[in-house]
Amino acid sequence: MKIAFVMLRYAETLRSPVTTDVLRLLSEWGADVDIIFPEDELVSLAEVEVRHDLYVLKSRTEMGLAYAGVLHAAGATILNPYPVSSRVRDKIALTALLQAAGVPTPEAFITADVGSLAPMLERGPLALKPYRGTGSRGVHVVWDPEDLDDVPTTQGPIFAQRLVDRRGSESKIYCIGGQIFGVKRAWPVRNYREKHGDAFTVPKMLRDITERCADALGIDAFSLDVLGDDDNPYVVDVKSFPTFTGVPDAALRVADYIYGAALRALTGEPRLAIAGKRRSS
Amino acid sequence: MKAVVIGTGRIACGVAGQLLRDSGFDVVFVGRNADVVNHLNRLGRYIVRIVDSRKSVDHEVSGIRAVNISDGETAAMEIAAADIVVTSVGVKNLLDIAPVVAGGLAFRRHRANVLAFENFGSSGDMLQLFAQRCLQNSNNAHGFSGAVVTRVVARREGDPLLDEPLVFVADESKTFYVDGTSLLSPLPAIEGMVITTHHQAMVERKLYTFSAGHATAAYLGFLKGYHYIHTAVRDPEVREAVLSAMREGQEALAARYGREIAGDEHDLQEILKRFQNAALSDSIERVGQDPKRKLGSEDRLMGPARLARKNGLKPEKLMLAVAAAMFFAPRADASAAELRKSIHSDGPAAALCRAAGVDPNDTLAASAVRAYCRLEKGKPEKSQLLSLDRLLWS
Repeated sequence: MKIAFVMLRYAETLRSPVTTDVLRLLSEWGADVDIIFPEDELVSLAEVEVRHDLYVLKSRTEMGLAYAGVLHAAGATILNPYPVSSRVRDKIALTALLQAAGVPTPEAFITADVGSLAPMLERGPLALKPYRGTGSRGVHVVWDPEDLDDVPTTQGPIFAQRLVDRRGSESKIYCIGGQIFGVKRAWPVRNYREKHGDAFTVPKMLRDITERCADALGIDAFSLDVLGDDDNPYVVDVKSFPTFTGVPDAALRVADYIYGAALRALTGEPRLAIAGKRRSS
Repeated sequence: MKAVVIGTGRIACGVAGQLLRDSGFDVVFVGRNADVVNHLNRLGRYIVRIVDSRKSVDHEVSGIRAVNISDGETAAMEIAAADIVVTSVGVKNLLDIAPVVAGGLAFRRHRANVLAFENFGSSGDMLQLFAQRCLQNSNNAHGFSGAVVTRVVARREGDPLLDEPLVFVADESKTFYVDGTSLLSPLPAIEGMVITTHHQAMVERKLYTFSAGHATAAYLGFLKGYHYIHTAVRDPEVREAVLSAMREGQEALAARYGREIAGDEHDLQEILKRFQNAALSDSIERVGQDPKRKLGSEDRLMGPARLARKNGLKPEKLMLAVAAAMFFAPRADASAAELRKSIHSDGPAAALCRAAGVDPNDTLAASAVRAYCRLEKGKPEKSQLLSLDRLLWS
């Protein structure tokens, strides 16, 4: 069983302990585990070969995604496939897809002219996000029309999302192979303990929302950033294959899931353990 | 020498066939799966892959052939000419194959030994009873014994419709125990065979330690959302429960048979090492399958628990495993679905008592139901157990 992780090179100390443990567990279980750092390579598109039974795209960089695209074209089995990872990267396409699937997301707009957002601010502040951005990098919160003048001009469309009050915390909902986990953490996170957060039992409404996301996206290992309250939750971001920090026994669960996916890849079974919609209880 | 193996499944091919062939027998399989029978005849061989965390070694089992059980006359003639007969068809199917076994034995001029590799305590007696009913006036003083198999054969790989040999993935253990008191002498030498005069004790030793631990890992592992036994036993809570359940079984065995047969802590750690063998990729669905049978009063969980209680011990973790088994609900397990249905319609106490075949006033069943209710109380639909200690659900 050969598994490759496509990752951004971090100092060993900065890598998520969950990822480190997943790599160790899979190796202990007899898998040949390789790490590919696309940023370190000069890749000849004509020479890329599928050398592993399963690839896991951990990197969130454009180079990482591009590398996954090349592997995808070469016929590789990628746990979080290139088309899906690519779609998740594009906040505009992602939000439209989620809205079409009935997933509650904050009101959102796209425009080429930032000034056209001014009337929308009468109903409350907006978060302007780079449409292919990750994390909170490059996010500008605008409250008044004059704030729009401070927004740096960018190439491509401007993606604006109605700001949802975090109330000092956020919920992370994780899906690992169709199993759903919730972690509540403080905002902003100040240390690893706070990043770890506290696991909670996911209420039915959030479970349904997560399943709708899984069905709409066609992946079963992702996270949702959820804001709002229990009665009015909003999904504000989706990450394909995050670090799963805060899920109890996360490394064991993720390694178990990847091991199963690699076995299915070896035997030519479907990539997802649960084909089609909804797994049984 | 010739051996007939009735069955073409994991244990038939992955244990009996290999050990008999290694011991110099010509092996003829009798099977009902026409694709597998045709495949074995076409290729004349298969592979037993012995795996552990360090290595994987393929043993080719060649020079074998197979007969379809629907061709009763041919199967009977093969049995009539065999030096030893082995069955490995699943205890539920013993009744179905008894006429074939009896038909073959009826043709024999000499008495034969029949070994039932069925992972069930009295499978030898059961097969003997079924066969004797069919034998009527024939010479029926044949030797029958169950065989306590220690090897785990996790799965079969390969497609019998193709021309690559089937592969049976197993761990290294070869030993199997047969009952010297119910077999006819002389018994042919078979690799791995240990003839014992304490057969029932060996049956219970396997069932009450290894199988109890295996089932505990499967049912608690399922509750916590894992897919493989090797993963489940890496979870500290599951691991502790597995060891404790096996200790409870071992203490009960010690009370009945003495420490020499029951074994010690080292034996349990060795069993745990086998559960950690990821190369088997042994799935929780496979190990936990058919929970209704596995909850039987003499089976791997209720059996040691009853013996423990009888000897004044408290089998808490075995009862926790019983409670967890009542949640077992993989997608393609009819027995699990029936049990869940019965729990929903009749309540956990009635469902468990029916599955276990125990009295509604049974105190052990009541203890398991209390553990079940404690788990059930906080469990939302489709959720996984995050902490056994705090009963936190995902």
